[in-house]
Amino acid sequence: MTQSTLALGVEAAAQAAFDAGIKGAFGYPGTPSTEGFEFAEALVKQDAGGGRVAHWAANEKVAYDLALGMSYAGHRSLVTMKHVGLNVAMDAYANSALTGVQGGLVLLVADDPGMHSSQNEQDSRRLAEFAWLPCLEPSTVQEAYDLTWRAFELSEALQVPVMLRLVTRLAHCRAPFLRRPVLAPTGVGLTPKARVQDWVLIPSNARRRYVDLLAKQPRLREAAATLNRIVPGTGRRGVALAGLGRAYFGQLVLEHPELAALPRLEVAAYPVDPELEQAFLGQVDEVLVFEEDYPVLEERLGLRGRARVRGRLDGAVPRTGELSPRILKDALGLATPEGKAAAGLELPVRAPRFCEGCGHVDAYEAIQEALRNVGAPEARVFGDIGCYTLAAQEPLAAIHAVVEMGASISMAVGAAFAGQTPSVAVIGDSTFAHSGLPALLTAAEARANVTVVVLDNRVVGMTGQQPSQALDQVERLVLGLGIPEADLQVLTPLPSRHGDNVAAMEAALRHAGPSVVVFRRECIQSLRRGVLKEHDREAREHAACSSCTPEVTR
Amino acid sequence: MNGARIHGIVLSGVGGQGVLSMAQIVLEALRRSGFHALQSEIHGMSQRGGSVHAQVCYADQPISSPLIDDGCADLLIALEPLEALRYVPMLRISGHLVVAEDPIADMEGYPPLEDVHAALRAVRGSHLLDTEALARKLAHKQAGGMALLGMASRFLPVAESLWQEVIAQRFAAKGEKVTAKNLEAFEAGRNLIGEGVGA
Repeated sequence: MTQSTLALGVEAAAQAAFDAGIKGAFGYPGTPSTEGFEFAEALVKQDAGGGRVAHWAANEKVAYDLALGMSYAGHRSLVTMKHVGLNVAMDAYANSALTGVQGGLVLLVADDPGMHSSQNEQDSRRLAEFAWLPCLEPSTVQEAYDLTWRAFELSEALQVPVMLRLVTRLAHCRAPFLRRPVLAPTGVGLTPKARVQDWVLIPSNARRRYVDLLAKQPRLREAAATLNRIVPGTGRRGVALAGLGRAYFGQLVLEHPELAALPRLEVAAYPVDPELEQAFLGQVDEVLVFEEDYPVLEERLGLRGRARVRGRLDGAVPRTGELSPRILKDALGLATPEGKAAAGLELPVRAPRFCEGCGHVDAYEAIQEALRNVGAPEARVFGDIGCYTLAAQEPLAAIHAVVEMGASISMAVGAAFAGQTPSVAVIGDSTFAHSGLPALLTAAEARANVTVVVLDNRVVGMTGQQPSQALDQVERLVLGLGIPEADLQVLTPLPSRHGDNVAAMEAALRHAGPSVVVFRRECIQSLRRGVLKEHDREAREHAACSSCTPEVTR
Repeated sequence: MNGARIHGIVLSGVGGQGVLSMAQIVLEALRRSGFHALQSEIHGMSQRGGSVHAQVCYADQPISSPLIDDGCADLLIALEPLEALRYVPMLRISGHLVVAEDPIADMEGYPPLEDVHAALRAVRGSHLLDTEALARKLAHKQAGGMALLGMASRFLPVAESLWQEVIAQRFAAKGEKVTAKNLEAFEAGRNLIGEGVGA
């Protein structure tokens, strides 16, 4: 064991994956998971010549399939995403439960209870349960490291993918942790011929594999049981703890030693063994459940009908939002100290907003003026996920629906089919690559009367300016999907170009049938940091090089 | 039974001011002083010019909660006065507050600055710093943050030499001149609060 430097919880998990000998790390950016992949990527870069790879994927499903392919080829792999990203990867995740794995596969998914940077607070533990797959849930940075190791071991022992579930507060908790010696990415060898049919999910094989998966469940519960435990206490009132519920309670015990007397059920792995639940419920008449997000453990314990189970469902814990020490104290009846009081000034919210000089603002101003000019100032505009979502708020109030990655284009097509005209979608370049491509293919194929605006700032702005997978490719993608060249315009969102941009946007709005307007100007944050400097220099050199084919220059 | 004493520090400001970076310096300094320490921060949307805050907890024994409860923080370091007021209720009655007077007021409904300053001065244990005047005096535009940290250092159980070591390492990549400027700002802030005033 060596003392590591300080790292975030999500980085500690990435460090563990590296140390456990992954050959590859894949992911799609999304708060609070992003730094996990980036940490793994940095380790892979430092390990030049070590034969490892780290690659952002176009979306979470692609990322998951990359990891699954690496597993098939016999190597350990890590795939990272945020909770709503797992919805995108769900097809791959659920079906990989049937194929099983060859090399260990760990899915690091970061949930966002309280919706700090997300559109919902869904609980990934439910998706693990849905897929009949194990889920490990650390409560500290050290556990994030240790349980990631354990997840790889379990994945190979049980031949299934293993989910590591973090939540925002742990993903972004910075603390020191101890490391184990690094394993080389040696692998376990290609999926043997005898197992090939396991990976071919035609119905005859899938039926057999589903039976196999269900038959594995007792072993999954046994494996989880080694990480879960009952801590006996005195009295008939107990607590059941998972994830940060464990972390918060553990610290409260330090401050209020009398709490140590409460019988405790501590859960760090799922599926939870019913016998463990029964044994615990036999010791208590009432149990308070502290877990992040959905009442997963609470419902399971409640169904046993042996004790009064309290938590999110009966209001002992607020039904929505993240846990906090205060919530635990209130539920446990502990007094909270009085803090300082500040004079009764009204404190206005300081909302996030566009950076000074951001090209998105210029693009939105052109869109809004063009809509006024075509006599549709009240037109509803379908937005998407990214920095440009900020335009949903005053003063711009320029987009009127934001649902999930890629929804803007398909929703605009649906609304156009319902008769809305003009029907406008606004989508960022990375979101376009993520899941706008099939939507635009449908729009083009259906000749739908929509105007699709791609806000191309060349990076994934919101999550820290990772290069977009559609970098320098947006026009070619648009044309390839069936939009005629005459119906595609590329504009530069600058105040000095405003008049021209409004005119071009107007023409697109008046055009019957699908049209695409690309507003391209690099994110000012990435420009400042020089994120694409090297890329652009290489592109220029290639462009000037006569022996390079145009394909190489991208 | 008396429980363990867990110490909490809240750092607040506006996205881009360096709140998270300062939290990391504090965390590292406490850790090297032999404490068990951890830090919590929020990324993403909030970084686009919105309110940003981070928390650092430390104790003599291992701790696990990334969050500090209201009324349980010992120290608040605020890089912006309105963002200080927001977190005052997190302070213990005995807690201290070091805060920059210079506002970032490019938003709707920002209260009159005199009212904000008056409200902060009325908080017992508050120490306001005219960051702009200090920056002018030291001819160092960004002196405010490090000076606030210098003031805050009077309330933290970290040796002065250790602070200097951690700050120097933090700025090492930016060269000797930048490092020296930041150390100077730290000392200037530290000297604003007399020895023995702190916890």
